[in-house]
Amino acid sequence: MGAQVLTVIIDGLLLGLIYAGIGLGLSLILGVMGVVNVAHSAFIMLGSYFAYELFRRAGIDPIISAALALPVFFLLGSVVYRTLITRVEFTGPTQGLIAMFGLMVLIENLGVIVWTTDARALTTHYTNTSFAIGPAVVAWVKVLAGGLALALIGAAWVFLHYTLTGRAIRAIGQDRDAAAVLGINVHQLLTILFGLGIACAGVAGVLLGMIYPFSPGGQVFWLAWAFLVVVLGGLGSVANTLVAGLVVGIIQTFAGAFVPFEFVYLILYTLLAVILIVRREGLTSVARRSI
Amino acid sequence: MLSIFFVRKGGAEDRTLRLFGLVFCVLGLGALILYGAIGTKQGILSLLGTVFLYVTLTQAWNILGGYGGYLNFGTATFFGVGAYTTAVLFHHYGLSPFLTAPIAGVMAALLGVIVGVPTLRLRGAYFAIVTMIITFAVQIVVLNASITQGPMGIFLPPLKLSPLALERLFFFMFLGLAVVVTLLVYAIENSNFGWALVAVREDEDAAEVIGVKTTRIKYIANAVATFIIGIAGGIFAQRIMYLDPTTAFSFDISLNVVLMAVIGGAGTWQGPLIAAPLILVVADMLRVTFTSEVNRVIFSIVVIVIALYLPHGAMGFMTSLRQKYFKWRNPKTGDEVASA
Repeated sequence: MGAQVLTVIIDGLLLGLIYAGIGLGLSLILGVMGVVNVAHSAFIMLGSYFAYELFRRAGIDPIISAALALPVFFLLGSVVYRTLITRVEFTGPTQGLIAMFGLMVLIENLGVIVWTTDARALTTHYTNTSFAIGPAVVAWVKVLAGGLALALIGAAWVFLHYTLTGRAIRAIGQDRDAAAVLGINVHQLLTILFGLGIACAGVAGVLLGMIYPFSPGGQVFWLAWAFLVVVLGGLGSVANTLVAGLVVGIIQTFAGAFVPFEFVYLILYTLLAVILIVRREGLTSVARRSI
Repeated sequence: MLSIFFVRKGGAEDRTLRLFGLVFCVLGLGALILYGAIGTKQGILSLLGTVFLYVTLTQAWNILGGYGGYLNFGTATFFGVGAYTTAVLFHHYGLSPFLTAPIAGVMAALLGVIVGVPTLRLRGAYFAIVTMIITFAVQIVVLNASITQGPMGIFLPPLKLSPLALERLFFFMFLGLAVVVTLLVYAIENSNFGWALVAVREDEDAAEVIGVKTTRIKYIANAVATFIIGIAGGIFAQRIMYLDPTTAFSFDISLNVVLMAVIGGAGTWQGPLIAAPLILVVADMLRVTFTSEVNRVIFSIVVIVIALYLPHGAMGFMTSLRQKYFKWRNPKTGDEVASA
C-alpha cells in the first residue's frame, strides 16, 4: 500500500510537471494578450510529430528534439502572430475565436494529410526502462520528460522576472496602453510572447510524445487538459500554472488508482466544468479580462 | 431572383423585394418537393437529405450561436443524446424512432437545460470550451453505460422499404424539419425575442441594464435549439441504422455546424441555407478525387478568411454588395438614402 501511494505521488508529480508545460503557453498568451489560443493543442501535436520525424529520419533523441523545438516553434509562433493574430486581436471576440478554431482545424487536418490518423509513439532505448526509489518503481522516461518540463517552466519564469524583455511583457499584461505610453514596443514584444507561447506548446508536445502515443485527431483532448491547468491556476502566472499542473497530475494518478481508466477523464472534465462555472478566471487570479 | 438574400429590414421597396423573395423560396421548395417525388438517383436524394439535416442543425445552432453570440461547440452532445434516445427506446421497447423523435427532442432539451443553466453564465471562449468538453464527458458515459450497450452500439433493423423509397422518406423527413426550423428562425429574427438575443450578442451587460432579461432569453434559446437538434438526432438514428458512441458524438458534427453557420453568415436565417448545400456538395464532389481532410483544410482556410475579413459570412458579403450597387431611393423624392 505504501509503495503504491508513493508510486502514485511520484507519477502524479512527474506528469504534473508536463501538464504544467502544456498549460504554460496557453496561460501566458491568454493572460498577457487576452487571446484564447484554442489552436494551442494543435501546436502541441505538431511538437510531438516534430520529435517523431527527427527521431525516425535522423535518429535524433527526443531530449535533443525538445531543445531544437524551442527555436523552431518560436519562429513558427512569431510568423503565426504576424500573419493571423494581429488581425484576430482587432476583430470582435466571436470572430477571433472562430478564426482560432479555424486554425486548429487547419493544422489538425494538415497533420492528417501528412501523418494519417494512425497513432504514433516515440520508442527510444530508454522508453521501457525504470528504476526504484525505495519501494516505488519510476519510469526513466517520465523523469526525463518531467525534468525537461521543469527546466522549461523555470526558464520561462526567469525570463519573465529577471530580463528586461520579460518584465516589459508582464507590464503589457498589466496595462497595455500604459506600457505603450512608456515606450514599450508592444507589437514587437507580443510577437516574442506569442512565439514563446507556441515554443512552450512545441516543447510540451515533444515531452508528451515521449510518454503517450499521439495522433493528429487526438490533439483536441490536450486542449481540454491545457485549459484545465489554466483555469485551475489562473492567468499569466508561471508559478500558479506549475502548481495547477502538479495538482492535475496528482488528481489523475490518484483517480487512476481507484476508478476505472475511462472515468479518470470524466472526473477531470467534471472538475474543469465545475471550476469554470464557479470561478471563470481561475482559482487564484483576479478577473482581469474576458474575451 | 436572388433578391431574397438581399432583404433585411427597410423602407417601402422592401415589400417588392420581400415578395420576390417569397416567390423564390416557394419555387425553390416546389422544385425540391418535385425532385423528391420523381427523382430516381439515390445518391442525390441521399446527399440532399444530409443537406437538409445540416440545414436543420445549423439553423438550430444559429438561434443561440448566431443571434445570441454564444458559440456552442457541443452540438454533437445533443445530437447524440437525441439519436441514442430513439435507439434505446426502440431497442428496449420496440417503439419506432418516428414516434419517439419528440421524446428525443425533450431529452436533448432536458440535458440542454441541465448543462445550460450553469454554463450560459460563462462568456466567450469559456462557453465554447466547456460545451466541447461536455461532449467528451457524455461520450464517456455512453461508452460505459449498460443501457446504451457501450462501445458495441445499437442496431436498428432496416425499415421494410426499397432503398429508393427509404432515401425518399428521409429526404422528405429532413426537408420538412428544415422548412419548419427555417420558418421558426425567420420568425425569431423578426421578433422581440430575436432582437433581445442580438442585444445579448452585441453587449450583454448593456442589454441587461436596459431591461432585457438576458438569462431567461439565453435559457429559452438554448432549450429550443437543443430540442430541435435532439429531434434531428432521433430521426438520424433510424437513417443510419447503427449507432455507436464515436459516430453519434463525433466532434465533426459540432465542427461542421459551426463552419456552416460562419461561412453562410451567423445570425441570419439565410446563412445556413447557403452554406449547408455549398459545403456538403463541394465535399461530395471533392471526395471523388480528394480525401475529406483536404476538404477540411479548404474550409478551415475559408473560415479563417471569413472570420477576419467578412465577419457576417456570405450573407454579410451579399449585403455589402447590395449597399454598393443597389442604392436605396426614397420613393417620394427619389433621393438616395442610406440602407438599413
